[in-house]
Amino acid sequence: MKPDITWLDNPEVFRVGQLPAHSDHSYTLEGKEAALCLNGQWDFAYSRCAAERPVEFYKEDFDRSQWDKIMVPGHIELAGYDKVHYINVMYPWEGMYYRRPAGFGEEKYAKGQFSEADYNPVGSYVTKFDLPEHFEGKRVCISFEGVEQAMYLWINGQFVGYAEDSFTPSEFDLTPYIRKEGNLLAVEVHKRSTAAYLEDQDFFRFFGIFRDVKLYAKGDVHVEDLWVKPVLHEGNTSGSLTVEVKLSGDLEEATLEYVLKDKDGTVKLSGVEKCREAFTLAPGETMEVIPWDNHNPYLYDLELVLKNKEGKELECIHQSVGFRRMEIINKVMLLNGQRLKIVGVNRHEWNCRTGRCITLDDMKWDMELFKENNINAVRTCHYPDQIAWYGLCDENGIYCMSETNLESHGSWGKYACLDASWNVPGDFPQWKEVVLDRARTNFETFKNHPSVLFWSLGNESYAGENLAAMNAYFKETDPSRLVHYEGVAVNRAYEDRISDMESRMYAEPWEIEEYLSNNPKKPYILCEYMHDMGNSIGGMKSYMDLFDKYEMFQGGFIWDYIDQAIMVFDEITGEEVLRYGGDFDDRPCDYEFSGNGIVFGDRTPKPALQEVKYYYGLHK
Amino acid sequence: MDCTNKLRIVFGDATFGVHGEEFHYIFSYGSGGLESLVVKGKEWLYRSPRPTFWRALTDNDRGCRFHLRSGMWHSSDMFQNCTGIRLWVDGQEYEKPWAPNNNQWMDKSFAEKICISYTYETITVPATTVEVTYTVTVEGTIHVNVHYHGKEGLPELPVFGMRFILPTKATGFTYEGLSGETYPDRMAGGVPGVYKVDGMPVTPYMVPQDCGVHMATKWVEITRNYVKSNADHSNEEFSLRFTMDKEPFAFACLPYTAQELENATHHEELPLPRRCVLSILGAVRGVGGINSWGADVEAPYRISGEKDICYSFKIEI
Repeated sequence: MKPDITWLDNPEVFRVGQLPAHSDHSYTLEGKEAALCLNGQWDFAYSRCAAERPVEFYKEDFDRSQWDKIMVPGHIELAGYDKVHYINVMYPWEGMYYRRPAGFGEEKYAKGQFSEADYNPVGSYVTKFDLPEHFEGKRVCISFEGVEQAMYLWINGQFVGYAEDSFTPSEFDLTPYIRKEGNLLAVEVHKRSTAAYLEDQDFFRFFGIFRDVKLYAKGDVHVEDLWVKPVLHEGNTSGSLTVEVKLSGDLEEATLEYVLKDKDGTVKLSGVEKCREAFTLAPGETMEVIPWDNHNPYLYDLELVLKNKEGKELECIHQSVGFRRMEIINKVMLLNGQRLKIVGVNRHEWNCRTGRCITLDDMKWDMELFKENNINAVRTCHYPDQIAWYGLCDENGIYCMSETNLESHGSWGKYACLDASWNVPGDFPQWKEVVLDRARTNFETFKNHPSVLFWSLGNESYAGENLAAMNAYFKETDPSRLVHYEGVAVNRAYEDRISDMESRMYAEPWEIEEYLSNNPKKPYILCEYMHDMGNSIGGMKSYMDLFDKYEMFQGGFIWDYIDQAIMVFDEITGEEVLRYGGDFDDRPCDYEFSGNGIVFGDRTPKPALQEVKYYYGLHK
Repeated sequence: MDCTNKLRIVFGDATFGVHGEEFHYIFSYGSGGLESLVVKGKEWLYRSPRPTFWRALTDNDRGCRFHLRSGMWHSSDMFQNCTGIRLWVDGQEYEKPWAPNNNQWMDKSFAEKICISYTYETITVPATTVEVTYTVTVEGTIHVNVHYHGKEGLPELPVFGMRFILPTKATGFTYEGLSGETYPDRMAGGVPGVYKVDGMPVTPYMVPQDCGVHMATKWVEITRNYVKSNADHSNEEFSLRFTMDKEPFAFACLPYTAQELENATHHEELPLPRRCVLSILGAVRGVGGINSWGADVEAPYRISGEKDICYSFKIEI
């Protein structure tokens, strides 16, 4: 297979040579670490556009002696190569290029629009690594947990694959090309591709390898995918567990032992199964369980051990399991039979020094702040977060709306008007599979997290056939969760086909009352409200009062958690200062519009937080 | 005549002086206000206090185009005309008490209570007036009564109160009121108590904007530790207390005026702090939060320019 630079221009090419998305479970390999982190200083070259990139950089004999070094993970802009740019609704090429998506009008506008652009930066990355001893002879794969926005991958001079979807893992099998020592990994990252139409989130526009890169080895028998399906029965005292397992490797006479334990170590379920490619464990045996919720995020531990015919341990998994029940009864969303009240916040991954490249410590800080301030829910605006965040949500009982990486605001929200004439994904057949793939990856990766109560199709992408297809995918695949999407509020033609709830953003209190007092169709949620830009969060009472007035009012997510600002050294005083859109000569831009957090860019709380804590404490 | 329990007063040619053992107040006719407030030898005023009509726009103010409706209050905050001064001593009015009328009251050197009122005319269209009345009693307490006359056709106000600019920085302030920064539509989470704040923190909103308001305050005590006098080298702390009269007030204690905050797009552009801007407020506009691109602050938290605003407080030594 040969890489093709025009994949950048083609919305129908978004994964080449990638492994299918799968559950995010971690495991040990024969008692050792199964993953090797490849983060660190990599060799790096920056090019302004594809035409200027070092095309043959992946070859082992290519001369990289003049290259720079760059820290992986990180954004290329923050390493000083390309300009930092903040822009909200408009596409980042506004006023620079006339672009229309494939499928709309004359294809001449779509052809070569990214691959031939005179500005579409490329980051060429190279690193070398040796295999750990215990990886030798094993199937070896690589996971890029976040690369913005399109990447080509080579190892040892061989092309491996291509990936988009910046915010979910992109994984590739390196087994055919891997060697014991001196492996040469080469990644070519393009700032923009057709994915840019789908990643028009209101944030700083970055590119590069910005999340962990991990090499992992599969056991001789490997759990490719795990789907735990806990069921909490009515009454909330009993439940059952079904586990769907997909295996690969040398299955002959191999076994899978499983044990489910509660927090005290009491065995709730156990058994041994012969390994097959796909099978179901523990189908539906009733047992006493303690339910999972915000007040008591009770998790069980499911241990899975794969053994070969000699009884040697190949892989061991510890998977958290939470029993909870999400349903809509009489148009009210219920969790474990109780009316669900969301007192939540939208959260971008952000650190003022490293952008969207954040650490586990950042996440833990955020989680502590949530708990201290009675925040019970998070919307992962508007892309899937790092995997660790979902685990923290499970452990801390934070209800999670897991958003698919999709926003195409600039394709329908125009200057002073709504113009959906070239809305993507819209109804264009060329844009269907790519958004379905994003939905599938969101589901497959995070399906085992009890904290995920909602799948969200994405944000501000209008509504059309392709969003309806995403909705149908989630509904068919996962009955244990609800589907959320706000965009039908601007295209009511789809309201019976998209979203289990009436979701609105920034509705005024009287508008909410108007909906809820006029034979409402769906339970009501505010996916964004209380826009905390600067000195704000006034008038929260008017929203909180609706909880007591309308059973179908189920709360909302404040916009948003953290100011997106960047710490730089002031050119005049030399002191560290926080800067925002427009401060980098970035135009057109939306200036301070990214500063809407309940915490400042450096994570210190804004004064308004005490108000949030007070009202959320009344309702959580 | 036993004068130990009386104010010593001075009918000056251009000012009216009021003195006690530990305080010296000079009300100026020329500057149109209280020009000097000395307590225990320390000056507390940089310029005569004036009514304030402006706050540095919040992002939500800008978003709902409040400034395009109410911008005339911005210039009224900066520029105002003192159009009338009246003086009462022990209940008796002394008209035009400056020279040469003051010659006739040479022997009037003591009083139990004095009262001086200043009328300020705004440069709004239509114009209106504010009366600020200072009443000083023997123990040195200054009662300040502030009356804004509403006028039909005037736009909503972002804030209304009195602005005291103190000559040097405050080292901090202590108040009895609500925790944290509060506004009329964001004060439910404020916990009542006595709070001590170090320095004069400017809330680091990405774009400098109005901040630091404390609603429902019973008293606030400002502490400083130096003066501008070349003859005073002390670094010992000294304080002055502003106390509620009939109703609690709101206040903000910042190193900057609304205009200074308004002018900066980043905190590093703000001047080096040198003074203390203490605003004792009778009306505060809410901050809103429905959105930042059009929704106004909810109606109960807006300040009509067409209705009177009256409030009062005390300065206690």
